[in-house]
Amino acid sequence: MTDVTKANPTKYKQLGFYLDQTGCTGCKACQIACKDKNDLPVGISWRRVAEYSGGGWSQDESEGTFKPNIFTYYTSVACNHCQDPICIRVCPTQAMHKSNNGIVGIDPTVCIGCRYCEWACPYGAPQFSADKGVMTKCNFCQDFLAEGRDPACVAACPSRVLHFGEIDDLRKKHGDTADIEPLPDPKITKPNLVITPHKDAQKSGHGHGVLANPNEV
Amino acid sequence: MLSELPLVIFTIIAQMSVGSFVVLGLIHLFGARTDRDVIDKVSDPALYAIGPILALGLLASMMHLGTPIRAINALRHLDSSWLSREILFGLLFAAIGGAFAFTQWFKWFTPRLRQALAGLAAVIGLALIWSMTMVYLLPTVPAWDSWATPVRFFATTFLLGSLAVGAALVITADVRRRRGAVADEASDQVIMSCLRGITTGAIAMLGIEFVVLPLYLGQLATDGSAAATGSVKTLATTYDAYAVTQLVLVFLGVALLGVFLSRLAKRFSTARVLAIAPVAAFVLVFTGEIIGRMLFYATYARVGL
Repeated sequence: MTDVTKANPTKYKQLGFYLDQTGCTGCKACQIACKDKNDLPVGISWRRVAEYSGGGWSQDESEGTFKPNIFTYYTSVACNHCQDPICIRVCPTQAMHKSNNGIVGIDPTVCIGCRYCEWACPYGAPQFSADKGVMTKCNFCQDFLAEGRDPACVAACPSRVLHFGEIDDLRKKHGDTADIEPLPDPKITKPNLVITPHKDAQKSGHGHGVLANPNEV
Repeated sequence: MLSELPLVIFTIIAQMSVGSFVVLGLIHLFGARTDRDVIDKVSDPALYAIGPILALGLLASMMHLGTPIRAINALRHLDSSWLSREILFGLLFAAIGGAFAFTQWFKWFTPRLRQALAGLAAVIGLALIWSMTMVYLLPTVPAWDSWATPVRFFATTFLLGSLAVGAALVITADVRRRRGAVADEASDQVIMSCLRGITTGAIAMLGIEFVVLPLYLGQLATDGSAAATGSVKTLATTYDAYAVTQLVLVFLGVALLGVFLSRLAKRFSTARVLAIAPVAAFVLVFTGEIIGRMLFYATYARVGL
């Protein structure tokens, strides 16, 4: 990983991601583009797509029939470069830090690979590389940003529902929702993430569905 | 179950070391009226055993790291990270406890000054257990983020500490006997009253562990989050046999000590069987606590993704 901080002066106060969940088909192009761009090995996925499903049958009393009311929706998640990042709070080395543009970065020359941030992060963003012996995570494609390009995940989205930008602008345009199952209560870390909820989206902590692809996230 | 073995070894050993140190301190406090030389003679070998064991524990904690060569970086975030504080208190406890052991060995300085050093080490040791507890109170891990975590950690500390000291006292006496030391009535009396105190303490800690467990499980089962439910499931279905084994071992160990003491207290002799009971009790409880700590890590489940 090259240090691109110098080549990438602060242009944003705080970067964030925006996901229009109503149009996400769960194709995982973002996840694969991220893996490809960052050359991530099997077992490490900085961006993952959670599939949340549930539902059952509802009875129509008048007709005496049953109708299915099942649902599934997708949530593409990487690091949310939180306002109150629990990874930085708990990191014993200060390897985890807020860098330019509000990006949460990890200094691989300082990290000792204790994996405490991995325990703490409710988005599963910091991931351990056994080869390197340190934690790795989404760096918002800083090098692409410096070249004026979009992050790989955003550029790859065929439905054009994944975006990025100054978080204040994103919130002005799209509201301030991030408490969607299976994501945690945003109060824990204050993620810089905005979601336009799917019609069946359930509030964090009040879901009655399950994560359908736990092995993929 | 084996994934966090270095941390299981580190936390158990660190807690046992602090517990042993504090229990030895209590023995000196309660034995203030007894001849100091006798107490020192009986208990010093146990004190010297703590150092190497603690060093092993600290080494084990490094095996947990992806890049152990930079382990010292763990001290860089003391103002915010409990993990940094845990490591700091661990090193301080080793350093000051070690300094006390050295001065005790060579009989440097006055006994009063050595006592002050021991007292300081004990306080830092308890701070180590406290910071170790705080490390696991992560708001994103319901199975750990509970009042039960500090209670369980401190119960383990004093349970293992007292039983380790009990085992060390009888092993020391046994080794001396085999080497042909003259029977020493005063020492035997001290060991006997130590064992009585240790058994009482161990029964109290066992009581705490057995009361906390159902309350904790109840709390976890009613938490409602998918993470908490997952943790309960891990304990109740995947590793139920281990959970039961742990409880049985800890109970058997403490019960064994209690029964032997109540039987032998009346016709106290230097019988070998007396040495076997505290050692067996320690082995049983130590194994139980190791399994318990493995289960603690196995129940890890985090909210969110």
